[in-house]
Amino acid sequence: MQNEGKLLNEGSTVENTAFAPVVEETAESEYVIEMRHITKIFPGIRANDDITIELKRGEIHALLGENGAGKSTLMSVLFGTYQPDEGEILYNGKPVKINSPNDATALGIGMVHQHFKLVECFTVLENIILGAEDQKFDVVLKKNARKKVSELSEKYGLYVDLDARIDEITVGMQQRTEILKMLYRDNDILIFDEPTAVLTPQEIEELMAIMRNLSKEGKSILFITHKLNEIMAVADRCSVLRKGKYIGTVDIKDTNKEELSNMMVGRNVKFVVDKEPSKPSDVVFKVENLTVAGKHKKDAVKDVSLTVRAGEIVCIAGIDGNGQTEFVQAITGLEKIKSGKVELLGQDVTHKSIRYRNTNGMSHIPEDRHKHGLVLDFTLEQNMVLQRYFEPEFQKHGFIEFKAIRKYSDKLTEKFDVRSGQGAQTVARSMSGGNQQKAIVARELDREHKLLVAFQPTRGLDVGAIEYIHEQIVADRDGGAGVLLVSLELDEVMNLSDRILVMYEGEIVGEFDPKNTTVQELGLYMAGAKRNDEALKAEAEND
Amino acid sequence: MIKNWIAAIGKWFKSLFVITDNKEPKLLTFYKRPGTKSIIASLVSILAGLVVGFIFMVIIALASEDIELYDAFDGLGILLAGPFTGTSNFVLTNFGDMIFYSAPLIMCGLSVAIAFKTGLFNIGAAGQFLMGTMGSLLVALNVNTQNNPAASFFVWLLALVVGTALGFVWGAIPGLFKAIFGVNEVIVCIMTNWIAANIVSWVFSATPDIGNTSSGKAGYLITTKVTGNGTPDLGLSKLFNGSYIDISIILAILAAVVIFIILNKTVFGFELKACGSNKFSAKYAGMNEKRNIVLSMAIAGGLAAMGGTFYYLNPGIEFKFSSAYMSLPSYGFNGIPVALLASSNPIGVIFSGLFLRYLAKGGDSLVIANYNRYISDIIVAIIIYFAGFSRLFIEIMTRRQRKMTEKIGSKMASSLAFEKSPNAADTKGLKNEGSAKEEK
Repeated sequence: MQNEGKLLNEGSTVENTAFAPVVEETAESEYVIEMRHITKIFPGIRANDDITIELKRGEIHALLGENGAGKSTLMSVLFGTYQPDEGEILYNGKPVKINSPNDATALGIGMVHQHFKLVECFTVLENIILGAEDQKFDVVLKKNARKKVSELSEKYGLYVDLDARIDEITVGMQQRTEILKMLYRDNDILIFDEPTAVLTPQEIEELMAIMRNLSKEGKSILFITHKLNEIMAVADRCSVLRKGKYIGTVDIKDTNKEELSNMMVGRNVKFVVDKEPSKPSDVVFKVENLTVAGKHKKDAVKDVSLTVRAGEIVCIAGIDGNGQTEFVQAITGLEKIKSGKVELLGQDVTHKSIRYRNTNGMSHIPEDRHKHGLVLDFTLEQNMVLQRYFEPEFQKHGFIEFKAIRKYSDKLTEKFDVRSGQGAQTVARSMSGGNQQKAIVARELDREHKLLVAFQPTRGLDVGAIEYIHEQIVADRDGGAGVLLVSLELDEVMNLSDRILVMYEGEIVGEFDPKNTTVQELGLYMAGAKRNDEALKAEAEND
Repeated sequence: MIKNWIAAIGKWFKSLFVITDNKEPKLLTFYKRPGTKSIIASLVSILAGLVVGFIFMVIIALASEDIELYDAFDGLGILLAGPFTGTSNFVLTNFGDMIFYSAPLIMCGLSVAIAFKTGLFNIGAAGQFLMGTMGSLLVALNVNTQNNPAASFFVWLLALVVGTALGFVWGAIPGLFKAIFGVNEVIVCIMTNWIAANIVSWVFSATPDIGNTSSGKAGYLITTKVTGNGTPDLGLSKLFNGSYIDISIILAILAAVVIFIILNKTVFGFELKACGSNKFSAKYAGMNEKRNIVLSMAIAGGLAAMGGTFYYLNPGIEFKFSSAYMSLPSYGFNGIPVALLASSNPIGVIFSGLFLRYLAKGGDSLVIANYNRYISDIIVAIIIYFAGFSRLFIEIMTRRQRKMTEKIGSKMASSLAFEKSPNAADTKGLKNEGSAKEEK
């Protein structure tokens, strides 16, 4: 009965859960969280070396650093996953010991992980209340929760359909669900771990607006990222880490992108790729009237034609989910073609196997490095020969030549600066995302090819690695290969391409020269507000 | 000279336990290797199974009026002694028998293990085992080489090959269904098991004259002894005091080595493992994932079937069959714990097969300690059940190891930090700049 009485007392319901803050509000300290002189050591590496970060109440504090700079480790220390070897954490000016994520949640610290932690077959509302449910006789009561969640989404502009299932909604909506999860638990300190890595440009805009709203309402935000534009757009202050060391904290209004990147990388970074004007020669790749069936009744790719010449970078721009994935999978042989023709070096490869395409001049940097690009449980060297293990160089009478593979792998890792814990024998799963991607890029560029198909080759990478991969792609072009680049990031599109095609709802709706166009114009085409059929028709006739 | 040697040995011994030359202790490196971990995990699961089995025996002893508490200790002893219990005259025979019975078990374990490595679950080993039995017996019982020992070897070999080939084809069926129609192999395997059982019943009842001497009875197929095509034993049987033992154990070990080489040293094995580990990237890399599924299942089928031929081609074993043959041989299913206990390592399968058979033999003798036959089955089952936990133990060990390396790593890093300090210099300038801004 007592239990029932508590539950009926509206408003107190959530505080009854395990997530109620345990530390009372005391004399206001300027900083809500201070991490002082944090040092965390892993085998052979100082992941965090004397790092001090102070988070003011109600500010958006960016944490900037390359992959492996120690951002994630620092956040894991704050979240209680790791214990620091040295240093202390202050909450409202008082030292606290955070021994587990439960302690962190009790202090009102919430985290949106880079990879969402949602139950796919549950609804949004169920996911939000999961683990903090109201219960009565073991039955989950959703009414109060629904009311609270609706109020929260109203207040912060986080609109989500509460009854939609997670696997039915977009990634951006899933992220909102994660944010609502934190708010529902009355968290005041919110950690966003690389939140924009999975979002489209529009969704990023929306997220920025939400973050501003949150900070206006007094929430303190730690924003982990390596994207400078986003920091400039939304953060109040920014702390920079490099190779486990604290480099400094700057006010955003007193700084600029160049200074930040300098602090992050330790040298000047070029934001514009140096490249000679392209000298397109022979057509290496030709797609005619390609149509690919979609998951639902609509075709994912409709009647697309394009050509790629040796020595040029053709870029397909577009918002995620407009048929780029299906298009690339179709031309590389991963998915079936409904109609149309694909020609590689003048040869019809429409119905040829993936192996045939791989060995006849096509290299492919896939969209999803974990799903397609790597066998994560294989070692680095095994992954380096994933498409070549059967070649005479690496086998004799059906037996693998391990020495040759080791030699080749070592050569590639050195040439492309792929870093790993145990060299060629490192299991791919244990490598950092940037180095996994570098390994794939190395493998694909080193294979003999005339066409490079690259889907988001720099997704989730830091500035230094992006610069490196861009340089490699340009070098590949100058070496005489044709490059078909699919990118969701307009900066990359404008920087790298010699010719831009915009894809919208499975169709090519415009072709542009990067020198004569603007991001704004591309954006209009990408959003489907404009299309340019006649120009395209003329182009098709010219080919 | 000797002093140096002693010093070197001493240093090596020291390096096992403490950080030397800035390298982690060698024992830790050894412990980190996945192979070491799987072996320890298997041993731990066996131990856990024995402990739980023993607790079970104690509980039964306390509950039952016929069994005294000390019987539980007796029982544990018998279980551990395996074939070494009983009258001393029979120890050698029992031991030989144990080895003989483990050969088919090893084959079924290999069958399940290779499928596991390709990401498939071969629960159809029982049916494949039966098809192998049928194929080999049809050959071996149809040709009489009683008077020609030289020919008997070739007939035996032919029987072995035919049986294995039949299992190869039978195993390919679930593979084909999976590759072409995307049907889950477990479902097709279970169905093919029963189809095999019925086909075997039908074939043998349709050919009543094959070696059937038990006129009028529900039907007995007698042994290969009658036609003289039994598996050669090369004198092993005599050596082991007239036990069933023959060369099948040698062939089983050979098969395990061959499978090990295929999986770890060949191009084909590379493909199989890639498909098993991540079929999407295998496809992306241009591997023929469907062909590999079919081949892997077919090889698994061939291995299980070879186990069947090993068992029934032995001149001492009788193939019993009634016109309503509807049971599946337990060998096929026991292959699963054998593979699990060995973490699907082909070489490990040899040992886990021998061990589980050793245990089963001990279980058979539990009657001596007043335990009912069925209770002994339960206890052996508990141990086998725990074999399935070896994955869990590996997981626990990996987690603990991570903590351990963290601890040692921090020791190493603090000694490293001193050497690395020059590198830190280049960040200094910026750091000052940063802190200056902060002070404002």
